[in-house]
Amino acid sequence: MLKNYLKIAFRNLLRNKAFSIINISGLAIGMASAILILLWIQNEVSYEQFHEKKDRIYEAWNKAHFSGKLQAWNTTPKILARTLEKDYPEVEQAVRVYWDHVYLFSVGDKRLTVSGNMVDSNFLQVFSFPLIKGNPKTALMDMHSIVITEKLAKKLYGDEDPMGKVLKLDNKDNFQVTGLLKDLPNNTRFKFEYLLPWSYLRYVGEDDASWGNNSTRTYVMLKPNASVVALNTKLKTIRQRYADSDKEGEMFVYPMSRWRLYSSFKEGVEDGGRIEFVRLFGIIAVFILLIACINFMNLSTARSEKRAKEVGIRKVVGAPKSALVGQFIGESVLLALIAGILAVLIVQVSLPAFNKLTDKELFIDYGNYRNWVFALGFILLTGIIAGSYPAFFLSSFQPVKVLKGIFRSSKALIAPRKILVVLQFSFAIILIIGTLVVKHQISYAREREAGYDKNNLVYHMLSGDLGKNYELVKNELLNAGVATSVSKTSAPITQGWSDSWDFQWAGKDPNDKTDFDRFSADQNIVKTAGFQLVKGRDFDLKQFPTDSTAVLLNESAVKAMNFKEPIGQLIKDIGVEWHVVGVIKDFILQSPYYPLKPMVVEGARGWLNVMHIKLNPAKSTESNLKVAESIFKKYNPEYPFEYKFVDEEYARKFDDEKRTGILTALFAGLTIFISCLGLFGLAAYMAQNRIKEIGVRKVLGASVTSITTLLSKDFLKLVIIALLIASPIAGFTMYKWLQNYPYRVNLEWWVFVLAGMSAISIAILTVSFQAIKAAMTNPVKNLRTE
Amino acid sequence: MIKIKNLEKIYRTEDVETVALNKLSLSVAEGEFVAIMGPSGCGKSTLLNILGLLDDPDSGSFLFNGIEVADFNERKRADLRKRNIGFVFQSFNLIDELTVFENVELPLIYLGARPSERKQRVEEVLDKMQIMHRRNHYPQQLSGGQQQRVAVARAVVNNPKLILADEPTGNLDSSNGNEVMQMLTDLNEQGTTVVMVTHSEHDARYSHRIVRMLDGQTVLENIMV
Repeated sequence: MLKNYLKIAFRNLLRNKAFSIINISGLAIGMASAILILLWIQNEVSYEQFHEKKDRIYEAWNKAHFSGKLQAWNTTPKILARTLEKDYPEVEQAVRVYWDHVYLFSVGDKRLTVSGNMVDSNFLQVFSFPLIKGNPKTALMDMHSIVITEKLAKKLYGDEDPMGKVLKLDNKDNFQVTGLLKDLPNNTRFKFEYLLPWSYLRYVGEDDASWGNNSTRTYVMLKPNASVVALNTKLKTIRQRYADSDKEGEMFVYPMSRWRLYSSFKEGVEDGGRIEFVRLFGIIAVFILLIACINFMNLSTARSEKRAKEVGIRKVVGAPKSALVGQFIGESVLLALIAGILAVLIVQVSLPAFNKLTDKELFIDYGNYRNWVFALGFILLTGIIAGSYPAFFLSSFQPVKVLKGIFRSSKALIAPRKILVVLQFSFAIILIIGTLVVKHQISYAREREAGYDKNNLVYHMLSGDLGKNYELVKNELLNAGVATSVSKTSAPITQGWSDSWDFQWAGKDPNDKTDFDRFSADQNIVKTAGFQLVKGRDFDLKQFPTDSTAVLLNESAVKAMNFKEPIGQLIKDIGVEWHVVGVIKDFILQSPYYPLKPMVVEGARGWLNVMHIKLNPAKSTESNLKVAESIFKKYNPEYPFEYKFVDEEYARKFDDEKRTGILTALFAGLTIFISCLGLFGLAAYMAQNRIKEIGVRKVLGASVTSITTLLSKDFLKLVIIALLIASPIAGFTMYKWLQNYPYRVNLEWWVFVLAGMSAISIAILTVSFQAIKAAMTNPVKNLRTE
Repeated sequence: MIKIKNLEKIYRTEDVETVALNKLSLSVAEGEFVAIMGPSGCGKSTLLNILGLLDDPDSGSFLFNGIEVADFNERKRADLRKRNIGFVFQSFNLIDELTVFENVELPLIYLGARPSERKQRVEEVLDKMQIMHRRNHYPQQLSGGQQQRVAVARAVVNNPKLILADEPTGNLDSSNGNEVMQMLTDLNEQGTTVVMVTHSEHDARYSHRIVRMLDGQTVLENIMV
């Protein structure tokens, strides 16, 4: 029996090649999209799940009111970890993880810049990053010990055993390799290639015991069965209990299981987060797969007349309905299986591009039996869903009718198929509107005035000897005509590294908790960055040596500080009294989607880490960089010349939205493609159904155009209904999405019109092919078939 | 073998009622060859469909081998059908995707016969119908006469007690038509009951008895001698 079914199924596939190709490719594309999205979701939900003690690990967070809102953030005082271990019995261990830090690694002649973290020595006991070699309990005990990943070990030592080897960091201190880490999985927030002990941080003088300096991440591991609720209740008053100043604000610990997907806070409580994307993508996956299945049903039932005779004969020779249902479901499972194999191939081919798009390292784990079970289940389910409607529909044919030739596909059947098409197109239009809104929002933000001149501006971290030789490098760059202006700053101009609500000025309301961005620069920063000076002047240490304590304010800061005449005003910050020498227009330091914050640009007394160079526009960038490299090599020979273009870094601010835009467009394209396959099938079915009517009309003198219009009109109605359904849903969804961006576009009417027009044009193109074909047929032939 | 009494079948659409069978009674004895004749729309095909358990009557009694089958459900009817009845249609009704051999094999598959048994039985029948040399061809590759021979082979492959033929020669030329009629006669002589609907007086003469129908009722019976 099964053999017979398979035989029929295969012969049907081969006999109706066009149908098979449309059907299988539609299903395969739908399945491939769903698999890609599922891989992405699987990766997202598996974050940090590999830690053995994941249920006991938490991250410490702060909560406090400033700038009029209850804000939450996860940088903490360095003293917190030991305090928790000492005075809070729920806590078994606390681990600090300092900022990512890039060091120059030297091994023999090899020089590599590597990013990693300084951590407490118990890091490897709390987190499950397995050591291939070394003891997790002791690997970070010694101040001069270092733990490196396999990948880094390979780069530094090739195939040699790295254990016990000595390497030099930043040409200063030697470290001995005491642990070899398995490379980090792709589902963790940690990105280090090396781990250094916290004791080294203390050694270089960067450890402190201030409750006012939120400068490290602190993780805690609770004792088994300890109550996190009890701990969080106590942590509400931890600052009042220990801090000398900065007593305001609460602390709490936040469970590991929620770090990745839920850690977005609004007014101190969880609000959305990545989980929204996960859900959205999940819905999209289900819908794309559903649309592909609907298609399959549409195309299969469209061919029902062809299969009707077979059903009739089988029934006459004794086939029970169950056997026929089994046969048709079996056929669709077979198609799903072929589509499934094709889908895996599509996924395999498109994974690199998808990984690039989503910034992930997803892969199909063929070695995992659970994936196979899942895949087979997935195929079986898809086959059953896609095949169920045709199976029950076809198997219910009355043999008497079909064999007598009086069988005509019922008109009633057209209604559910129309609903399916409306559903498909609604979804497609929602995605088209989504794509248009995302693109509109990105270009709106991109066109926003940045407030400085990004062209020909590069920056370089003050690594190695650059800090020491800064003046020499700067002078050579200027003398060689490579640069027109050079400044030192606290951070790259595209990033905000520091902020405070503790600035003091004359007339400040003691309750004012306005948060100011803090940026520092030595001199000529207005010239180098191309800021727009509104009042006063640039920093100029040569002419005004006191400019080391000068500040520039942006216009928002002048407003926030309520200065009528800002020049000459005094401002206190980090124990220094600063005097205002100029006012600049606001510029975008961080997100181009947010209102610009008040900012204080402090003079050379600040902490300066970065060198900004305005390249000479009269010379080619290539030659400028070549000369600059030779100058950098001369004064900082051990370090690579690692410059960054500010305009490129600025463009990165749009990466997330660009990614969202590309993904929505991709899904919209796929949905439209699959929907069109379905529409094509329905059009063919409808044309076939009305073949007699078309014949009669032609005999009576109807033109090809009038018949084409007649047949296409019905579909236009469907797409218009879809547009009416989709517009409010898409409008609401995109309105919600846009609320994430204070600097945003309005939902414009043309977006809906454009989406509708494109859906209608695509539908007309698809349908008119069938309509014209039907209209062109010789009427005699049509009538004779009756 | 067949005993029907006061059989009624009415087709209803929204505003029209068509009486296809009007309290019709008929008996067919085992081994008989009966031809049913009558103008279009007189109810011949409806009768044949009910006899073949492809359709059910609205009222009346239908005894098949002494068992009342008028109220059988679809599953029971399918079961009875596949064990006892073979069909021959005017338009052959072969499955285009299956070869001659596979078409003939189909009823045996639904009967649950073993592959070896099926092979033997199909070959026997194909041989008998002189179509063995075409066993691996598809229906479209055969002439009308050959296709009808395959259809007859399929109808008899499971040794049915009853063969129902609905205008079996309607799509054939006279020589092929005669061949098919001869086959049915041979089968009848070997003991199979045959009920045939036809428009052809010539074909009807092959039968033992002609039942003439009009407006859903039998109006005349001719016994052939």
